[in-house]
Amino acid sequence: MTATLGRFLILASVLVSTGGAFIAFGAGAKRSPEGLRWSQRFAYAYAALMLLATVVMEYALITHDFSVQYVAHVGSTQVPLWVTIVSLWSSLEGSILFWGLILGIYIAGTTWVNRNDHQEYMPFAIGTWLACGAFFSFLIAGPANPFLTVATPPLDGPGPNPLLQNHLLMIIHPPMLYLGYVGMTIPFGFAAAALLRGRLGQSFLRPLRASLLLPWIFLTIAIMLGGWWAYEVLGWGGYWAWDPVENASLLPWLTATAALHSAIVMERRGVLKGWTVTLIQASFLLTILGTFMTRSGVFNSVHSFTQSAIGPTILVFLAAVLLFSVVLLALRIDSLEAEGKLESAVSREGMFLVNNLFFVVLTFTVLIGTCFPLIVEAIKGKQMSVGRPYFDAMVVPVGTALLFLLGVGPALPWGKASKKEMQRALLPPLITGAVVLIVGYILGVRNGWTLLTLLFGGYAAHVTFAQMWLPLRQRLKRGDSFAPALIDAQLRRGRRRFGGYVVHAGAVIVFVAIAVSSTMRTQEEVTLTRGQSTTFAGYTATFLGTEERTEPHRQSTIARFSITKDGKPVTTMEPRMNQYAAMREPVGTPAVHSTITRDYYISIMNLQGDQAGVLIINMPMVGWIWGAVLLMGLGGLIALIPAGRRTYVIVPEPVSTAPDEVIA
Amino acid sequence: MNRTVLVVGLIIVATIVVVLFAGLGKDPQRIDSPLVGKPAPPFALKAVGTGETIDLEALRGKPVILNFWATWCGPCYEEHPTLVANARNLPNVQFIGVVFNDEEPKIMRFLAERGTAYPTLLDANGKTAIAYGVGGVPETYFINPAGTIVAKFAGPLSTEELQANLAKALR
Repeated sequence: MTATLGRFLILASVLVSTGGAFIAFGAGAKRSPEGLRWSQRFAYAYAALMLLATVVMEYALITHDFSVQYVAHVGSTQVPLWVTIVSLWSSLEGSILFWGLILGIYIAGTTWVNRNDHQEYMPFAIGTWLACGAFFSFLIAGPANPFLTVATPPLDGPGPNPLLQNHLLMIIHPPMLYLGYVGMTIPFGFAAAALLRGRLGQSFLRPLRASLLLPWIFLTIAIMLGGWWAYEVLGWGGYWAWDPVENASLLPWLTATAALHSAIVMERRGVLKGWTVTLIQASFLLTILGTFMTRSGVFNSVHSFTQSAIGPTILVFLAAVLLFSVVLLALRIDSLEAEGKLESAVSREGMFLVNNLFFVVLTFTVLIGTCFPLIVEAIKGKQMSVGRPYFDAMVVPVGTALLFLLGVGPALPWGKASKKEMQRALLPPLITGAVVLIVGYILGVRNGWTLLTLLFGGYAAHVTFAQMWLPLRQRLKRGDSFAPALIDAQLRRGRRRFGGYVVHAGAVIVFVAIAVSSTMRTQEEVTLTRGQSTTFAGYTATFLGTEERTEPHRQSTIARFSITKDGKPVTTMEPRMNQYAAMREPVGTPAVHSTITRDYYISIMNLQGDQAGVLIINMPMVGWIWGAVLLMGLGGLIALIPAGRRTYVIVPEPVSTAPDEVIA
Repeated sequence: MNRTVLVVGLIIVATIVVVLFAGLGKDPQRIDSPLVGKPAPPFALKAVGTGETIDLEALRGKPVILNFWATWCGPCYEEHPTLVANARNLPNVQFIGVVFNDEEPKIMRFLAERGTAYPTLLDANGKTAIAYGVGGVPETYFINPAGTIVAKFAGPLSTEELQANLAKALR
């Protein structure tokens, strides 16, 4: 019964999205307001159907209705309720349904927000979104149908993939990633609409940018959560392994970040329109590529949980969207005419161009590295993979150069600048850079790249901080009182700019923390007998013994360590091995003791009677990465807050000699 | 129409689609063994139950199907009947089971419950498994009469897969 209802809802969503897409494209071609209203209704109906289908699936999961195939695959009466609820995205069929739900919400939300605006573009945008929706509904209805029935329902199921049950971060990481991935459909639809219309007007830049920024925020946080999860759960003490699927999440992030930057130049100078649109399209295409990588079984990855049959279907969709985008771009890119021109290479906009170049280089580097094994196998028939060394060798220099730009770019003025202005803008931050470099050296940093990162990081931090509070300082200089100046200059009129620099501040910290944590980490592998202790990195760990704990879905062996520093007790750490009924190999969970400066990390390698083989890692600054990425997300949110409460107060503009002025 | 964009775009599209298409249908978990085409690493191990020592060198002249397994491995239960049935049907082929990371009583019970048709050897310290580069169980190596490894198969064998790989050993 439940399964039938679910199948009905999905079939209805296929009809609604296909029909809605046709109506919307028709309305766009005829510029029909009535057609636009109908396409809006279809957009809402699509979201409603997706929501209902998800509710039906959750109902089946929670009531353990094993006659539904998906529930029989991932459900279990032995797992806690929260695991049952998140099982929706624990396996292929459910996660595609979840994808459909998020897509529906995005489409309906964006349609509603712009219900009275941008009538020129909206029909084409809704048409593009619903066409994508139709594809995903088709996937759910056919190749990845979660609502198939089981003829003889089992009494109990195996439960979801144990790795998903191992840590709470796993509840948040997939939804965040989906919010980022799926959200890229929205700017793609807007960009397609601009191309179909052959015009990208100034007023349309705002929704275009906002629609890109929102999924960018989710994607930023999702990537970090994935790394954090790997660090907290997998026990090898790292957070990034250049796994194909990690790369898949990074690729659209790189192009989206580039697009967010070129959009600023587009807004201020009226140039780079075709380029920005291309980057936006690439971001969406890379999310589809990423989905293919995760779900086709083509790439060997920790994320390829199953080899599924939907690979070819996604590939066909990817090829179709690629072709659509390329032809559309070729047809219309020349009509998105440039209104302005770039005056000087050594200027803010010049640096934006270099920034874009670097991001695109990074994208291709990672893309080629990821696909390299496939290329070699296709040509030579040999299996080969590129590992960390390739990525590190290629990405570290470009990343360091990006950090350099992050400092120099915002320091440079827009347009042309005199030599004197240039010196005044560029030289003072060097002092901060040098100070940070020297402090790092004194604290023991010797790695060349890390020292360079510290120099550029200090420089960028100086520039970012100065630029961040520039509007406030301008107001104070003019004699405004502090509180109103703060609110108006930073949070109201200059909010987008302020948010942007908060993101930059987070990024600077991330760069430095990655460099320091990866080059300054030390580790020790020891075997301890009960009662024995080892002193490493200032801490003494004493192995107190093990304890077995049985939970319905898993059995854990917990090793207990007391940690002391200079004879004083600090904490007790309990790394564990979890044995899940459905899995042969045990899954370890390390224990991490975090302080402001560093993490002390214990992971069990093996346990035998009274002996424990442990890996102890000392990771400086690693916690800063998580915090700083959250700061980036916060900055994104500050910049995103819609300009709904626009205040049209006419303020006499200050005569500014500063290198930058506030974008109102 | 911007020809440059069209041409460059189509080239990128074609490359990506062709590369990804070529990757479809392949199993990335399947990694070819560097041992294929090389002489099989020698071993002499004691058989479970009989205690008799079996030396691979002594089996030259016959194709050998060398199956690594363990009682703690689920797929091995699935595979066992296929191996036993084929061993009974193929008297000219030497089947050998090698068990590692396991205990003799457990193996005895497994074989008593499920039957056997060929010697099962205990690789007590896992040295033989390491020499063959076993990545997981079950894993099966096909050795030709000259003592060269001709194929490796990871995962539970079906009769068809067993026959297809055995054909390489008989060539």
